[in-house]
Amino acid sequence: MKHAGKNLIVFAILLLMVTPALFGGGAPERPVTVRDDMVIAMGSDPEHLNPAITTGYPVAAVTANVYSALVWRDNEGTPQPDIARSWDVSEGDTVFTFHLRDNVQWHDGEPFTSADVKFTMDEVLSQYHGRFENIYRRISSIETPNDSTVVITLNEPYAPFLISLTVFDAPILPKHIFEGQNVFDHAATTAPVGTGPYRFVNWDRGNQIVVERNDNYFGDAANISRIIFQMIPDENARTVALQTGEVDYIWGFYLPTAGLSELRADPNIEVWQGVRIPALYFLFVNNDNEPLDNPLVRQAIMHAIDRDLIVDLAIEGLGNTAIGPMGSAFPYLYDEAFDLSSLYPYDLERARALLNEAGVGSFELTIVYDSGRPAFADAVDIMRDGLSNIGVTLNLQPQERSVMIESVYMQRNYDLSMQSFTSGGDPSIGYHRIYITQAFGTPFVSATGYSNEQVDELLAEAAITVDLDRRGELYRQANAILAEDLPLFPLFEEKSVEANNRDLRGLRESLDVRDQLHRARWAD
Amino acid sequence: MVAGRIRDRPIRQAQKEIRVSGSGMSLWRYAAMRVVQSLPLILGIIVINFLLINLAPGDPVTALIGDFPAPAEYIETVRQQFGLDQSLGVRLLTYIGNVLQGELGFSFNYRVPVLELVLARLGRTLVLMITTIVFATAVGLGLGIMAAKWKDSPLDKFAVGFATVGYSIPVFWSGQLLILLFAVRLGWLPSSGLRSTRIAYEGLALYGDMARHMILPVLALSLRYIALTTRLTRSSLIETLNSDYVVAARTRGIPATRILWNHGLRAAATPIITIIGYHFTFIVAGSALVETVFGWPGVGRLMYESIGARDYPTLLGILLMVSVAVIIVNLITDILYAFIDPRIKYD
Repeated sequence: MKHAGKNLIVFAILLLMVTPALFGGGAPERPVTVRDDMVIAMGSDPEHLNPAITTGYPVAAVTANVYSALVWRDNEGTPQPDIARSWDVSEGDTVFTFHLRDNVQWHDGEPFTSADVKFTMDEVLSQYHGRFENIYRRISSIETPNDSTVVITLNEPYAPFLISLTVFDAPILPKHIFEGQNVFDHAATTAPVGTGPYRFVNWDRGNQIVVERNDNYFGDAANISRIIFQMIPDENARTVALQTGEVDYIWGFYLPTAGLSELRADPNIEVWQGVRIPALYFLFVNNDNEPLDNPLVRQAIMHAIDRDLIVDLAIEGLGNTAIGPMGSAFPYLYDEAFDLSSLYPYDLERARALLNEAGVGSFELTIVYDSGRPAFADAVDIMRDGLSNIGVTLNLQPQERSVMIESVYMQRNYDLSMQSFTSGGDPSIGYHRIYITQAFGTPFVSATGYSNEQVDELLAEAAITVDLDRRGELYRQANAILAEDLPLFPLFEEKSVEANNRDLRGLRESLDVRDQLHRARWAD
Repeated sequence: MVAGRIRDRPIRQAQKEIRVSGSGMSLWRYAAMRVVQSLPLILGIIVINFLLINLAPGDPVTALIGDFPAPAEYIETVRQQFGLDQSLGVRLLTYIGNVLQGELGFSFNYRVPVLELVLARLGRTLVLMITTIVFATAVGLGLGIMAAKWKDSPLDKFAVGFATVGYSIPVFWSGQLLILLFAVRLGWLPSSGLRSTRIAYEGLALYGDMARHMILPVLALSLRYIALTTRLTRSSLIETLNSDYVVAARTRGIPATRILWNHGLRAAATPIITIIGYHFTFIVAGSALVETVFGWPGVGRLMYESIGARDYPTLLGILLMVSVAVIIVNLITDILYAFIDPRIKYD
């Protein structure tokens, strides 16, 4: 009897230990037929699902098809009607009148009106969205003469205004849900209610986010009924999941270049490559530190960085090194005369001569970079090798992203720092910030300390110039100064690469591959 | 590592007390005393973790704002919301106060209550770890017993060799190999995830689906545990089987199998239970890698992501809950000793 009691207790303890197994199961879901859904791999969860309060990639990736905006940008970058059916622009390019679609409903059934647009811009985007804040400063008024009209008046023309009204820069939130609420911890910040082609279903953190077709969508209803965003933290595991068919689509942001050759060889997979929204990879140079304050030294270092080798080895050839100070993807701002690959080719002799001319012997530099980016580590190794040939010792300092932000932007405690900035679809959105004079202590702007009044003026003028010929001339003048001063080292402009199941059609219909997913469909 | 350190002290203390006290204390009084003793320990864990995490470089706000410069007002608002505008001391006291009320705070990174977030993830990690420990213990015990019984046979040599190799192979490598073989080449098993993404199973089928997804991570994770358990079982069993009382039993004519089970294994069980408890202390550290390789949304990965995002409340919540779990497992282990080792008595 005593023995049996003991056994019972042991059994009870074991049972207790196994009970948590019941935690693991999720709520059972309705089974769906295969091929009526699309699985997109992501690296990690978004922080939340409110695209109006962050410029982070993963948040927009999931919400771009849940929310709508006034416009979307097609493959060419041209604005197309989204929730605004059409618009008129006044002479002088300062007054924009948007005519909204009628009978649009939020996913909760409430009617969408012009008040939602005004509320989102005035109360949320202007305060919490990094890129829209920059637009909002140029807006003098937002008026809503009726439920289906929004009139936005600018202080002065702004070239990229229309293209800044996409779901990535200006998603429209529901006023009836967010008005007077705290946008940070409101339930709709993690369970969004939008007007887009897909409605939010559920978010199993660390595992997946599911959205399903919105049958009341104002545009063409989505072809694919469900999209599942699957979190796969390991790079290789993402590639493998595409090969095994567990995943259908991987955006370039989440696609490791190391696995590309294997994917290219796989007959079931389509690998797409090209330039969409250009992004520039470059080295910030701390212009306050000796001897980097000397332009000759900066030029010497540029000559000693083998950019072609970096592109070949670190990013599998997916980059273009024939670029000016602001890349080359925007034809109106690129000028061969200021192409850095011809001005500063990899030439160690020239580099040594320049250092002699500057009267500088051997010295050490510290390079800070985000340790979470494998391509950065490879590129930095190649640079260290090149620089050692001209007597420059590169001390590597890989840092976690949040630590890197502190060292580079907050404390400027670095000599060189590898970075990549997106153009955001227009040089004035994404590229100006790396050259214009910047106050100390803001992340993701110039951290070089470089300040040139003439450059500041030229770029400010370019931002408000709508005529492309005139705008190009301004960039030509700015590029001339920047190519000589070399306040930072542009390395290459990135080519995008993506991989998807060969049977998927209708992807990449828009400039940013993350929106317009309702156009995607399976081949018959 | 944190977990490892936490564990050592009470165990040694407990063993000493068991030996010294000997009489006058019931099992339940002993357990209650252990729980009371662990309270200052938990407080210490909170304070040390809080300071370590908050003094590390990196700012949770910059981790949140995206890739474009955020408006200054926004950064200020977030800082206030997170309570980061207050001094470290005030924040620490507030945190302890909240924990005492059972409030673990709100995740910076995920915008949900920490308790809810961590419990869900901890559950999934436990499923993986318990399955692994049960499986590895069974296999390791079997191998160890056979190796001890037929000492110096080819089987024994295989077991010893396997234990050495298995212990040396890192889980991220064995994991990748298993994926390449069973998911990519053969296509028998899913490569990652908790359950099928495309087909949403219900009821029993859902558990079957989850079990299929668990096979590879459990195999990868088990290797090390099997190795450890095999070696330990083998060596303690060999030692016991050579001891005087076993020899005496043998001379009394008791059958070899009965000696093995009744005398040998019973005496060898104590270190084996210790090692099982020890495995539990590595729940977080041990699962982080395998959870990343296999895309298993458990607490190890949550911790890894929270470190990157400087999500202080989530990190503290994980460390606290894991510490408590480790203390509970230690207590259970100690109680199990009493049932298995006749020399250990609490009353």
